[in-house]
Amino acid sequence: MEERMNQDQPSTEGRCGRFWNGMDLLKDVTENKHFLPTGLEGVDTLLGGGLRQGQLTEVTGPSSSGKTQFCLHSASHVAAKHMGVVMYLDTSNSFSPGRIATIIDGTPGLFGQRAYGVQLLGFDLQPKDVRLKSIMRNIICESVFDIFALSEVLHQLEVSLLNDKEKNGGSRIRLLIIDSISSLLAPIIGGKYPQGRAMMISVAMTLKKLADEHNLSVLVTNHMVSAGNGAVKPALGESWKAVPHVRLVISRERGSNMCTATVLKHTLLYAAVFSFPPRWFLMYAGQQQQ
Amino acid sequence: MVVMVLFAISAGPTGSSDLIFLLRTAPALPPRLLIRRPVSRRSSADRPRPASHRSSSAGSARSSGSCCSSSSAPPPPRRRRFLAGGSDAGRAVATRRVLDMGAGENNPLGAQNAWDMLSEEQSQKHITTGSGDLNGILGGGIHCKEVTEIGGVPGVGKTQLGIQLAINVQIPVEYGGLGGKAVYIDTEGSFMVERVYQIAEGCISDILEHFPHSHEKSSSGNKQLQPEHFLADIYYFRICSYAEQIAAINYLEKFLGEHKDVELCIYTSQVRIVIIDSVTFHFRQDFDDLALRTRVLSELSLKLMKIAKAYNLAVVLLNQVTTKFTEGSFQLTLALGDSWSHSCTNRVILYWNGTERYAYLDKSPSLPVASAPYAVTGKGVRDVSSNHKRVRVT
Repeated sequence: MEERMNQDQPSTEGRCGRFWNGMDLLKDVTENKHFLPTGLEGVDTLLGGGLRQGQLTEVTGPSSSGKTQFCLHSASHVAAKHMGVVMYLDTSNSFSPGRIATIIDGTPGLFGQRAYGVQLLGFDLQPKDVRLKSIMRNIICESVFDIFALSEVLHQLEVSLLNDKEKNGGSRIRLLIIDSISSLLAPIIGGKYPQGRAMMISVAMTLKKLADEHNLSVLVTNHMVSAGNGAVKPALGESWKAVPHVRLVISRERGSNMCTATVLKHTLLYAAVFSFPPRWFLMYAGQQQQ
Repeated sequence: MVVMVLFAISAGPTGSSDLIFLLRTAPALPPRLLIRRPVSRRSSADRPRPASHRSSSAGSARSSGSCCSSSSAPPPPRRRRFLAGGSDAGRAVATRRVLDMGAGENNPLGAQNAWDMLSEEQSQKHITTGSGDLNGILGGGIHCKEVTEIGGVPGVGKTQLGIQLAINVQIPVEYGGLGGKAVYIDTEGSFMVERVYQIAEGCISDILEHFPHSHEKSSSGNKQLQPEHFLADIYYFRICSYAEQIAAINYLEKFLGEHKDVELCIYTSQVRIVIIDSVTFHFRQDFDDLALRTRVLSELSLKLMKIAKAYNLAVVLLNQVTTKFTEGSFQLTLALGDSWSHSCTNRVILYWNGTERYAYLDKSPSLPVASAPYAVTGKGVRDVSSNHKRVRVT
């Protein structure tokens, strides 16, 4: 796999020749790295506008706290409001097209009416459903059940994004969602086995590379595990901690429909004047001096 | 296969995880050789598999690895719908991916757009639980392609519900059922066949009550409505240790492939539900290394997810309860820990409310949390007031 990936990358000189100055970066950020609103007002305010293109956002929380709902909501909103293509990688068979349709339709009354059968949903292509259809066709879902499949899908995605860049001057894919990345990583991580961690970091690097080069916003979900004393913490350990640009924790009171989101980590200074993450600037400035 | 797994596990916590891990990751093959993805139903028969697929290293990695079981299972159907339509951009992605994959022989698309999935979802039938109220909170019943976890205190009716589902999945298509078969994996030894017979009889009498004119139908229809016929279509596995349980789940994919008659009507001969009663029992004992248990269980759950999706069947996992110390008090939660709690699509908790049994939908990607009463009667799981109300058979 390593070999294959290296072949697709440009030569070393090609990569090193590409340096940026601060103004280039600022231009790139203002032109290409937009915030994609999730449609959840509170969360958008918290995140300074939404899920940022070029960044990796992690949503974590206990079971049934609303992580998948967050993903479905973001997918629907990005597809509906930006007409962007959303790639949804599903590991737990929880991608619910019915729920997506309900969110896009914006009629909460339909929520839960799956109970009364298919007919009542009434999505039989009435005029307004043409819109629904075009939006929903922009959400592409793929089931992924192991880490190898994930690497393969990401590789294919990268190739198709590169082709799009060459031929059409950019892809319409805006958002990549992996729900949940931790269920793929859980079987290989833990104990004293470094290989699993290496695979995790390799996936993380691919995701961040895709995000940066193709202006994707990447959204992944993570589990919570016990931290002792009845407390919980995000899974995947310390080395994963450094990966996401933004970490959100979602919690829900049992039996309540209100979810609460808390920011654990955010690389962008909140309400900052400059609209780029300061850390990037430093990183690239360092390269330039060489 | 079974022997391999037994060996791998019984080598002890430290050694075994090493081995499992190596088997997973050691082969330095491109991922496509390791991953079995669905191949087109039609083409699977007439098209030979690519030579690379049978290469010796890939073959040995598959046949020995506990993770890569069932190399000989006939592949499940490929979904082509994604290619049929879609927005320009979506189609472009799809087409490109087909091209990238070099004629796409061993790498069919798993990708589908949400619109096509919606229409597919709407044409799906659900497996009735026997209780209309319970079906109500579940959105019509147990959904295929999803993993549903059902938990509760002992005696609340988990096994009854499991048996009921194994019977109800077999309700013939002409009576509004799925006409499928059931796989029942019993780890606790609580599958009482007399009771299954009783529930089958109850189910048949309800069908006949609901379709009073069905007697005049063809004789084949009546032949199907025999308790013996219902019992014959349950594949029962008795599991006596966690190693056997792992082996059984690994074997399941092969089994399902063998028991799928593609040429006949898809509804008459397919396993449409897999019930594991209970997933917990053997994992609660004999496991010292909890981190290893988490890893093994999370791999099992991914495998079950895959089976559910690929074979279009419902997976129902019955789970026990445990106490958990949170916020200064002990509370009842489902067993197997926090990590496991993420590994199902839906979760239903059965509990006692006074003298009535209630079901609470705790987790679902598409439905709101809700609870509903149900009753366990001589005929099986029914509505609380089923004496007055007719049971919906949908």
